[in-house]
Amino acid sequence: MASKISDFLGSAAAVATGMGVTFKEMMSPTVTEDYPDVPPSFQERYRGTHVLQRDENGLEKCVACFLCAANCPSNCIYIEAAENTDQTRISGGERYASVYNIDYSRCIFCGYCVEACPTDAITHGHEFEQASYDTSTLIYRKERLLTASAAGSAAPAEMKRAS
Amino acid sequence: MSDLVHLTIDGKPIEAPAGTLLIDAVRKYGIEIPAFCYYEGLALQAACRMCLVEVEKMPKLQTACTLPVAEGMVVRTETPVVADARKAMLELVLTNHPLDCPVCDKGGECELQDMTFRYGAGEGRFNETKQHIDEKQWSPVVFFDRPRCILCYRCVRICNEGMGVAALGIANRAVTSEIIPNEADHLNCDECGMCIDVCPVGALTSGPYRYKTRPWEMDHIATICAHCADGCKTTLGVRNNSIIRANNRDHSGLNGDFLCVKGRFAFDYGASQERLQTPLARVDGKLEPISWTRALKTIAAKFGEVRQRGGAFGVIGSNHTTNEENYYLQKFARQGLGTNNIDHHRTGDVITLIDALAGKGGQLATVEDIYNAPAVVVLGCDLSHQHPMLAYQLRANVRHHQAQIYPITPGPVREDNQATRSLRVDKGGEVEALGSLAAELKQAGGVVILYGDPVKGDAVRKLVDFGESLGVPVKYVALVDYSNSRGAIEMGLTPELLPGMTPSNTGGMRIGQMLASTDLDVLWVVGANPLKNRAALAGKPFLVVQDLFRTETAEQADIVLPAGSAYEKNGTVTNVCGQVQMLKKGIGAMGTKTDLDIFALLAKEMKLDLGPATPDALLAEIRTTVKGYDVVLAVLATGGAAMTGVNGPVAIDVPVDAIHSANDTMYTSGSISRYSKALTSLMEYPGELYSGKSK
Repeated sequence: MASKISDFLGSAAAVATGMGVTFKEMMSPTVTEDYPDVPPSFQERYRGTHVLQRDENGLEKCVACFLCAANCPSNCIYIEAAENTDQTRISGGERYASVYNIDYSRCIFCGYCVEACPTDAITHGHEFEQASYDTSTLIYRKERLLTASAAGSAAPAEMKRAS
Repeated sequence: MSDLVHLTIDGKPIEAPAGTLLIDAVRKYGIEIPAFCYYEGLALQAACRMCLVEVEKMPKLQTACTLPVAEGMVVRTETPVVADARKAMLELVLTNHPLDCPVCDKGGECELQDMTFRYGAGEGRFNETKQHIDEKQWSPVVFFDRPRCILCYRCVRICNEGMGVAALGIANRAVTSEIIPNEADHLNCDECGMCIDVCPVGALTSGPYRYKTRPWEMDHIATICAHCADGCKTTLGVRNNSIIRANNRDHSGLNGDFLCVKGRFAFDYGASQERLQTPLARVDGKLEPISWTRALKTIAAKFGEVRQRGGAFGVIGSNHTTNEENYYLQKFARQGLGTNNIDHHRTGDVITLIDALAGKGGQLATVEDIYNAPAVVVLGCDLSHQHPMLAYQLRANVRHHQAQIYPITPGPVREDNQATRSLRVDKGGEVEALGSLAAELKQAGGVVILYGDPVKGDAVRKLVDFGESLGVPVKYVALVDYSNSRGAIEMGLTPELLPGMTPSNTGGMRIGQMLASTDLDVLWVVGANPLKNRAALAGKPFLVVQDLFRTETAEQADIVLPAGSAYEKNGTVTNVCGQVQMLKKGIGAMGTKTDLDIFALLAKEMKLDLGPATPDALLAEIRTTVKGYDVVLAVLATGGAAMTGVNGPVAIDVPVDAIHSANDTMYTSGSISRYSKALTSLMEYPGELYSGKSK
């Protein structure tokens, strides 16, 4: 008999504790984001779609050194290099990437490319909506990766501090 | 060689012949002593101080590149003291070296980068601003970036000693020293690119390869150069199905690291805009594109019809196709078409030599023999122009073994500079002139005789008689022009001979007769351009041409089939000395087929049973059936060169009038060199040395 009473009390206490948590959380502010109605917020160092940066003169920072491609564990970066001439100057160095593709059907967002880049040309942006019904659209060309504005305005704050 | 001495390196007992340099001696035991200025085979410099090692009982660190091994020596190559010294040297080297590795073409295969990584002089103590000097272009293929230069003088020495050109020198002293070209602001030289190749850093870079890719991005495919007959091994850098560069940094093959201008830069002919990418057929007098199926069907129908009514075929083979292709082509002609009218452009008299040496054996010189012979005679050939690699071996022989060199030529040649004695004779008088050298050659104790196309027929027999009379070992090389000229003869692309130099005993037309004949119903030209200097064919045969381009011959064809280049196929080729080496497919070209595939498809279309037509199966067949070609497969497969043993007697009348070299220069290579952008850019940029008069 005594054990039945203590069982009942024990269960009631457990329910009360559980409900306590529920009521407490009901009162606290919500953490769920209303994506896609409300744009999601990210940590500064979130690793989203890559952004190719420009320098303060508006030239591309990438000098086509291929280190990102060499470092890429999923082998998703493809580059073709070309030489800057006096007539057409694309990057600050002697060479630039005439083709720069990232295959997002393979990219694992590990950030090794950003790590490897000697000119801080490739960074992670906060774009993340790559989903597609057609994998052939997942290869992003340079034109799509390149930031429009000069001086790395699209770079996350951390990158700005570093440069 | 001399006696062995015993010494201890890093606690390991080793032995080496007396006189060997320490840096060379340890390599065999898997120990590498780093060095920038030391380069095997070139004069010693001891400028970079990277090879410093600790030697017991010697008070200071010693440079391993100048220190000969000695009995009982105890050497330590990697101690903290040594590492410190090397790090300090690197720090000095890096004071003015720019930190532009990300854009430098050498990045990834740079010796300075490797050493800095190993000894860690990543942060220097010199904070002064680095001197900057703008990059200079010395020629269409050579660029020089002074700040990157570490003054190891490898380029100066390779150009001077290795090439015998001496187009590079040093100006100024100390920190302002600079490598300079011979014409103040540009180079007047062979444009061989050896200086670029030996540069341990990115100071000298190659025009065609410039900023194209990075070393690790390419596939490195070892094959054999497609141009002259020397058979240099070349390693193609391939990316995206295109060849980006060619070099031979692993020092393998007959040539070591040597490549001439053609080998290093003229790999681009296959990528020419003018390359054929579809079969062409003559419609209303004009060549129009057609499909492969239709082209093959048309040819097969025509061939079948002519064979049925017993018409006459003529087949002209190539100096550039592989042994397997040549073998299959002659089989196709003899068995499939029932004709013996098969020939190719003959560029040297190999046949008489093989006949004259019948039963002797071991008297055909290899490339190694040219490097080791105590005396070398060159008859009637501008070796530096026509056989750059043999000329390079010759110069190395003079430097390393003090060989005696005797060029006997109509005009001055570069070999005169190294020659013990040069003889100037009229063309055809080379062998007579040789008589005056008998005493000297006898004394030398061994001779290699190289002869060009003026020496043919009876002159070759006289030459061999002369060699016999010397009483010392004599070896011979019959110089021929193109990458598989030798293989074309030995695979039976002549009416007189079946494969393995077996007399065919059936008459057949030779190339000149075929072109002049009015009776031929079909003329099939594979990879040759016999109408280059001829208006038209005498008769009106059905002309089928397999080629890479619309050559003069292709322009007159009824059907043109686009063929694959030597860099686009597997197979074997035989070099000027008779050494067989293996080609490896580097790339493919859109719309083309290899000559072997074309033969096979035609045979299938004509329902001929000529046996399997893959390079491997045909090589197996050649090895078992062709006399002298029972070479060891393992040697070929591992990238080596296997000497063939084709032996006489060859009891035929050699048509000496049909033998003539095309006399290509350093910048030409038959019809294909016209389509190489790199090569034509160099020819439009001629200096003294290009103009045909050798220095």
